[in-house]
Amino acid sequence: MGLSRMAAVAANTFRESVRERVLYNLVFFAILMTLSGLLLSQLSIRQDEKIIKDIGLAAMELFGHLIAIFIGIGLVSKEIERRSLYPLMAKPLSREELFLGKFAGLAFTLLVNVGAMAAGLFATLLLTRGEADPALLKAVFGIYLSLLLVVAVAMLFSTVTSTALAAVGTVCLLLAGRFSDVVKNMKQVAPDVPDTLVDVLYYALPNFRNFDLKDKVAYGDFVPWSTLGWITAYNIAYITAVLALGVLCFRRKQFQ
Amino acid sequence: MGDPAAEPAIATPAIDVRDLAKSFRTGHLRAVYRLALKGLTFSVARGEIFGYLGPNGSGKTTTLKILVGLLFPDRGSATILGHPLASREWRYKAGYQPEHPYFYDYLTPAEYLDYAGRLFGMDKGARKRRSAELLRLVNLESAAGVPLRRFSKGMTQRVGLAQALINDPELVILDEPMSGLDPLGRRLVRQVIMDLKAAGKTVLFSTHILSDAESLCDRVAVLRGGELLKVGALDQILTLDVSHLEVLVSGLSDEAAQRIPTRNRLRVGERWTLEVDEERLGEVVRAIEAERGRVLAVHPIRQSLEEYFVKEMGGSAGGPGSWD
Repeated sequence: MGLSRMAAVAANTFRESVRERVLYNLVFFAILMTLSGLLLSQLSIRQDEKIIKDIGLAAMELFGHLIAIFIGIGLVSKEIERRSLYPLMAKPLSREELFLGKFAGLAFTLLVNVGAMAAGLFATLLLTRGEADPALLKAVFGIYLSLLLVVAVAMLFSTVTSTALAAVGTVCLLLAGRFSDVVKNMKQVAPDVPDTLVDVLYYALPNFRNFDLKDKVAYGDFVPWSTLGWITAYNIAYITAVLALGVLCFRRKQFQ
Repeated sequence: MGDPAAEPAIATPAIDVRDLAKSFRTGHLRAVYRLALKGLTFSVARGEIFGYLGPNGSGKTTTLKILVGLLFPDRGSATILGHPLASREWRYKAGYQPEHPYFYDYLTPAEYLDYAGRLFGMDKGARKRRSAELLRLVNLESAAGVPLRRFSKGMTQRVGLAQALINDPELVILDEPMSGLDPLGRRLVRQVIMDLKAAGKTVLFSTHILSDAESLCDRVAVLRGGELLKVGALDQILTLDVSHLEVLVSGLSDEAAQRIPTRNRLRVGERWTLEVDEERLGEVVRAIEAERGRVLAVHPIRQSLEEYFVKEMGGSAGGPGSWD
């Protein structure tokens, strides 16, 4: 595995994605939504800080996921459909390096985007309250982990299907992962379904709720470092599996 | 770069293709397979310009895609510069321009070439020098900082050629390099190909523009419906059917010209162009002298590739392709 080649792919992916205008629009809207929390906070008594945090983190999560789906599918699927991958495939760059380099580039792009949105939220809090709770960063970290998983899933789908189907598949998996408790409760709702099937489905779906620390942080609850460690390990394990599957599919892909 | 110790003997062909076959699934519900390549075997010698010819759908692009690793063959094997296809070694010494190339919208040609150079492990200075050199070569110096999304088809094609040469390759594989180019662009690409040959490089290019193949290629492979019809020097392929000579004559009256035993005759001003069977040339020249005419020139009229294709493709089954 050539790290310098992967770094070249990652750098190019980052450069390509930061020049997408849509990305700026999404970040702009996220910051705008955070600022709108200022207005809403005027309507409540003594809850203004919580409202700003709530809206800011929710905006970051919503627009972050939109960005992750958009770039995860756009930059990979588009490359396949428009054939911009073709000249690269003849160069001394393995398919693994290309795939993982893309992921690294997208992960860095997301980091910059989340960083920009978090800066917007912190700036809003500092301007209105004169202080910003550093614990917010824990929720931001959870959002970032979720985005990394979404982008990995989007890349996997992009290698095996069309742009549209990859988008639908990623959104469906994200929603299923957000509501994976429903799957667990199937044992009570539909007792005829074999328990093993329910268990397999439950554990196979990425549980995106694990990364959601918004409420705890907004309410001022303490989030232990062990929780962060656990969700990081879960995220790494899941991303490794998704990327391994993605690499496997990409290695076998024929560009007709 | 590649390990010099791993360099195979120079005598090996630049490309050696053995029994290459490929099919594509066409059915959605029921698996139906279309044979795209039916066991191709040919080789490209080092230092030659090799034309890969055939009508649309004959399997040219499929072959080139297999060679560069975009497709996997069902059967057969190939080596490039002595290395198996799966090896990374040959990729350091080869360049590839796909058919109708497309590049990243938001990059400039200079940025794209820099990116391509990084994939070869070139250092920053070398990348900068080579990019400038190549942009000059393909006449895109003035557009070096313009995003690629603003490029015309012809300009994109020229960027495609430049990126294929970023590593100063020993072997260049070009898929329809003249496609979408205006006459000036075509001349530029022709010149680049000839310069590559002069520098001792090997060029394999596919085309359906026969005049380009005629003017550039040392050897050609002719493909139809996934099968190789013929591989060889243009002379070998075309002289098989050389049927007549053109004799340019002056000083003959209309009556005298009628008495010369020719296949056909055409008066152009004061001169005559006589179509003569090769084996009757001596007899015709003597007849011209007897009529006090003067032979100005004798041209062997070879069958053109165009004629060859019309003859080979016309009327015979098995070729799904057609010429544009």
